[in-house]
Amino acid sequence: MRTLRRFFKRLSSWASTQQDEERLQAEIEEHLAMQTAENLQAGLSPTEARRQAVLKFGAVQAIKEDYRGQKGLPFLETLAQDTRYTLRGLRKAPAFTIATVLTLALGIGATTSIFTLVHAVLLKSLPVANPGELYRLGKESRCCYQGGYSQKQEFSLVSYDLYKYLRDNTKGFSELAAFPAFEPLFGVRRSGSSEAAQSYPGEFVSGNYFTMFGIKAYAGRTLTAQPGAPSAAVMSYRLWQQQYGSDPSVIGGVFNLNDKPFTVVGITPPGFFGDALRNTPPDFFLPLNAEPFVQVDADLNKYDTHWLDLIGRIQPGAKPASIEAEMRLELKQWLRSHWGEMSANDRAKFPNQTLYLSPGGAGITSMREQYEHWLQILMTVSGFVLLIVCANVANLMLVRGMERRRQISLSMVLGAQASRVVRQPLTESILLSLFGGAAGLLIAFAGTRLILHFAFPSFAGFASVPISASPSMPVLLFAFITSLLTGVVFGIVPAWMATRVDPIEALRGASRSSDRTESFPRKTLVVFQVVLSLVLLSASGLLTAALHNLENQNFGFEQDRRIVATINPRLAGYRTGQLSPLYRRIHDSIASVPSVSSVALCQYSPLSGGAWGSGIWVDGHPPPGPMDDNSASWDRVSAGYFDVIGNPIIRGRGISEQDTSASRNVAVINEAFARKFFKNEDPIGKHFGRETGASRQFEVVGVAKDARYLTDNLDEPSGPFFFLPEAQAEYTRSNQGSLFLHDIVILTAPGIRLSTARVRQAMASVDPNMPIISIRPLREQVATQFTQQRLIARLTSFFGVLSLVLASIGLYGVTAYNAGRRLNEIGVRMALGADRGHVVTLVLRGTLMLIVLGLIIGFPLTFATGKFLGSQLYGMNPYNPVVTLVAVLALGLSAMLASVIPAFRASLISPLDALRVE
Amino acid sequence: MSSMKEKRDVLQGTLALMVLKTLDALGPLHGYAIARRIEQISGDVLNVNQGTLYPVLLKLEQEGSIASEWGASENNRKARFYRLTRGGRKQLQAESRGWEQTAAIMGRFFVLKADDLK
Repeated sequence: MRTLRRFFKRLSSWASTQQDEERLQAEIEEHLAMQTAENLQAGLSPTEARRQAVLKFGAVQAIKEDYRGQKGLPFLETLAQDTRYTLRGLRKAPAFTIATVLTLALGIGATTSIFTLVHAVLLKSLPVANPGELYRLGKESRCCYQGGYSQKQEFSLVSYDLYKYLRDNTKGFSELAAFPAFEPLFGVRRSGSSEAAQSYPGEFVSGNYFTMFGIKAYAGRTLTAQPGAPSAAVMSYRLWQQQYGSDPSVIGGVFNLNDKPFTVVGITPPGFFGDALRNTPPDFFLPLNAEPFVQVDADLNKYDTHWLDLIGRIQPGAKPASIEAEMRLELKQWLRSHWGEMSANDRAKFPNQTLYLSPGGAGITSMREQYEHWLQILMTVSGFVLLIVCANVANLMLVRGMERRRQISLSMVLGAQASRVVRQPLTESILLSLFGGAAGLLIAFAGTRLILHFAFPSFAGFASVPISASPSMPVLLFAFITSLLTGVVFGIVPAWMATRVDPIEALRGASRSSDRTESFPRKTLVVFQVVLSLVLLSASGLLTAALHNLENQNFGFEQDRRIVATINPRLAGYRTGQLSPLYRRIHDSIASVPSVSSVALCQYSPLSGGAWGSGIWVDGHPPPGPMDDNSASWDRVSAGYFDVIGNPIIRGRGISEQDTSASRNVAVINEAFARKFFKNEDPIGKHFGRETGASRQFEVVGVAKDARYLTDNLDEPSGPFFFLPEAQAEYTRSNQGSLFLHDIVILTAPGIRLSTARVRQAMASVDPNMPIISIRPLREQVATQFTQQRLIARLTSFFGVLSLVLASIGLYGVTAYNAGRRLNEIGVRMALGADRGHVVTLVLRGTLMLIVLGLIIGFPLTFATGKFLGSQLYGMNPYNPVVTLVAVLALGLSAMLASVIPAFRASLISPLDALRVE
Repeated sequence: MSSMKEKRDVLQGTLALMVLKTLDALGPLHGYAIARRIEQISGDVLNVNQGTLYPVLLKLEQEGSIASEWGASENNRKARFYRLTRGGRKQLQAESRGWEQTAAIMGRFFVLKADDLK
């Protein structure tokens, strides 16, 4: 406390120097006068009395100096002095300054821009009140449905009934809110408007959702927990502002969502983006109990369909662990109350059913889980680049330090303290680094925008991912600390070197000597750079090779001439009974467009991101036990689908016009399905079912070649899949959602470009109210799946090349500098008859050693790199000799080039000039 | 170089305590009077340049242990008077206790005979 007080006093008295000097002067005068008077009384002569008084007082100047030292802040003063001096020095060397600041800006900018993403995706909480009080159900986020009364590992999704049970019985939560684990799209039209319906993402939320988050409406009100008011909706600020120009009449206005009227009662606050960081934040929030009203295949009242995520705010002082224990008990109680409906397998799994609570301040973190590893990779990579930048700048600083040796020696001879001498170059480093950081912020901003654009592609009219490229406070802080650390890291060695100068040697003109110890740190830095860039190059090589493998794998279907149009009949309010004729009309209308050669509809086209899953019961096989994995994915397709998508049928036939509601129910399976369920049998003619006990639902009529439909586990072979004919849909049964086909696959005639306008026209002639959500070539749909991989491969390659360039520049600098210092020696050698080749070899020998040393150290590290990249390589062997060889060659060659040039230049000098060089 | 600095720091510390004690005993005083007083009490044992006092006074004032203002000296000259503040009194109490303890311990050490340590 006293120290603090003194600091402020000193700070203020630093400003009032003049006045205090006068005060001290007056006091000294006073003191001397009194002492003189006393001496006079003692009988001394006036001159002697004054002399004695001054003697007794002591050295006035020294005391004044001490007084000043006490009074002001000498540290700040020297800092200001050093800064002024440094700025002057930097102005005098603009080339050095600009080169250094730019290099630093690249390194700091790259790191900061990756950190912006790391902060937004991995570290940040939702913009809600006290996110620390929020807890969510489940350790990992799951999508989208879990059926039955048992879940693997943990019960993380719940049905509406289970939600109500947990909500009403768990005392530890002040509010427990529920919302679906998927984000539905709504076809939206303002009531009375003549425009076509637009599709927007939305969310069903329990009535206490906004209360739980502590979110107040920006305008109007939010949803309330009152039952029986399902026709209220809350609109996002973004949509209100962008689409409706902040029109106040929107609040209270009626909007048709999936052709059902809803009154918009309020607008969410601007920063709010729902319960999860998503590519497409929701634009509408509807009450959970409106779900049966809007969705044809409602899940709300199914006890055993688990589709809701839970987030709750705990009571002040409540312990999450005890809430968790309470909820586990409730889960068991709820399951017991449904004992009668449970299957034998569910009953067998009952003892293992449990649940977990985890911190929910960041909401549902599926994006975090998805991006975590690649952000770690990018952060490491950019950190490596920053280290290389540090090494480069440290080298530049060392050269600069050499040039300053005489000046420093002189100061040391004149009695400057070592600490003072160190502080000067350190100030310079830190200042440069801060400039670099400031410039780096600009680079980071541009870089982040670019990455956001590629990493999180947005759809026209939809909200984009709620991550801002402009630096926030934590990002600024990160950039500042990084700059400061960078400055210290690259400045400390040169500064330390400066104090180790032998004054006599330096003053004598030591530029001629080739002292080994002083070149050691510079050589170390070069080796370090070579090692780092070898690691980066091999990482980028591995990622690029993995991406190439991914993109060029055999997908099992044709991409050329295929176009996929995505629709959603639900959004136009179609009922299941109307669907079959609708599909027929869509098919005929699009097939009649010139240049279209054939058309088929399916629920999910390949790699479009979804599929239905079921448990399989095979006729004639023993029923699956509780621990057996009998799952398979399936798709519903129209006649001729396999030809249109170009998926070869290996045995039997595909789905055709002969499969109607009147004929026997058939299925086409893929090879993986045949392998899994009909190991040593011929599957054709066999029967299976996808519901408990129903093993004779479908007869297998064909086997299709494995084609990739699902977008996860891309490093593994395609899983078991079966296809059902659209015409045989069970319109009276459950799973009605599977009746809505999303994708229209269009095969165009060879050599002709299909105009999308014609397709839209054809669709509008079927129903002007049904929006085409997207229309794009199948090739693009496939490519979109690898956006992330492509981005990370490209970014890493960019960083790899950057590191290569930086390392080469570093090598060039070292070689050129060493050659320069040995000009005398070169001159002597040449005068004694050495030829040019000799000189080049002489200069190169040392540098080559460094390169080779760097490669030798870096080589084993490339294997560690492969290991670190792990799953990002999608099953590719991380020990890829070709990639490593290419990296070694690329680095070796450019390093050679970088050192040969200065060596060759040194050899061009005439002996006479060389000897004349001081 | 550095050992010299240490010595001065110790000296300053004790000097500060002497200043505080003097002001505590005698009330407000100007710099010269404080210097004289310390001189009288310590005799020639503590040979301090009188001027050294002023940086110490400044430090104490910055710490809030003493306060100062201009006034008139006994022979009617303008002089700066220093007085003890409440914080200074507390500091004096705390530090004098510490000194006494140290002195007592050191005293006991010096009367120890070699036998006592066996």
